[in-house]
Amino acid sequence: MKTAKDAGLARCSSCGTLTDRPGERCPICGADTYVRRPHSLQRVWAFWIAGVLAYIPGNVLPIMVTQSVAGDSPSTIISGVIALIHHGSFEIAAVIFIASIVVPVSKFIIIAWLALSIQRGWSLSEHRRHLAHELVELIGRWSMIDVFVVAALAALIQVGALMSILPGAGVNAFAMSVIFTMLSAMSFDPRLIWDNGALEGEPKNGGH
Amino acid sequence: MKEFWERIFRRQRPPSPARLREIDRLNQSLIACPSCDALWERPTLGPNEHAKCKRCHTTILTNKERSAERTVAFMVASLVLYAVSISFPFMRMERSGLSNEISVIDAVGILASNSMIILAMICAGLILLFPLLRIILLLFVGLSLFRKQSTARPHALSFRLAQMLEPWTMAEIFMIGVIVSLVKVGKLADIYLGPAFWGMAALIVIMAFGASAVCRDTIWHDIRRVS
Repeated sequence: MKTAKDAGLARCSSCGTLTDRPGERCPICGADTYVRRPHSLQRVWAFWIAGVLAYIPGNVLPIMVTQSVAGDSPSTIISGVIALIHHGSFEIAAVIFIASIVVPVSKFIIIAWLALSIQRGWSLSEHRRHLAHELVELIGRWSMIDVFVVAALAALIQVGALMSILPGAGVNAFAMSVIFTMLSAMSFDPRLIWDNGALEGEPKNGGH
Repeated sequence: MKEFWERIFRRQRPPSPARLREIDRLNQSLIACPSCDALWERPTLGPNEHAKCKRCHTTILTNKERSAERTVAFMVASLVLYAVSISFPFMRMERSGLSNEISVIDAVGILASNSMIILAMICAGLILLFPLLRIILLLFVGLSLFRKQSTARPHALSFRLAQMLEPWTMAEIFMIGVIVSLVKVGKLADIYLGPAFWGMAALIVIMAFGASAVCRDTIWHDIRRVS
């Protein structure tokens, strides 16, 4: 089985056109062409670190503050989930918990696992890693739910003296974390999974 | 950011006709898998057939029938629904005699004017700007391919941008967020949904259909042909 790389061809990542001059701009759509995305893993790690760093204040700082005559009450993502459970809305609590905690954390783990598996040359199932990458690309956007919940609440509940909801600093950090993690997943070149786990220029079977 | 725009808009000499013929010949015979780079002989597909990579099972080629026409139809419908969903009231809240009615644009405005600029910008981009831009770009590409106009360069740029925007249009996620927030306020106030809410719900459905009507391979193939 031959790959485009073996044949000295590069597939344009935007329009799919094959070119025999990798590195030139795609003659059809004008995107840069490359055999493998340059510095793919470096970009993955850069955005990954930014995403993880932003995720911490996103969870520690309040994502919204409810102001009422009884005083201000800040709430974080976790305390919002707990409040929903107390109100008996288990389904909604589950949606928020999955979108804001389970999905981002598993994304961090999966992306790191994918990048490490290539850097360390782990011989893992290509199909499984391929599936993991597709999954990460597909579900990553849905972490934005909580950001939009806060935006909708803050826009709607502006009745002044009685009660109002303000977004907290945490929501900006959380939104940034989701954006960075999406960029991290997008930077990953899935073709690296199938390159026998060896980076370009390295011996294919690890040497010694 | 500057580099990003330069990369998109950097001027380049159009390739020579000889080079385009060469590229065309190469692409008539071969196709590479986007996800595992395996090189295959380009299959000839019947209408609505698709080909999968034998190694990683990713779909490598689709051939959706009348893709351009269907894209145009869905995008016209999307544009109408988009207008509905931003101009009419989205929802109304009533609580102890006070009522508050907002449209989506009002909502972004409220966020921006209450020193929540970042949140306002994120929402404006992901819910308002990017979906509109994507609709317009796809409409442009679909319409001119449909009418067989030969303006390959702007086509290619528009379709590339539309592809880039796809993961960043989040109207459907916003709707789920709104539904969650309704549950959260439900006990504090009475909420009435406005026409824009239903407009946006319909917009999401139509845009999903529109996205599945777009056949990247056929459209890029047509662009390749025109150029």
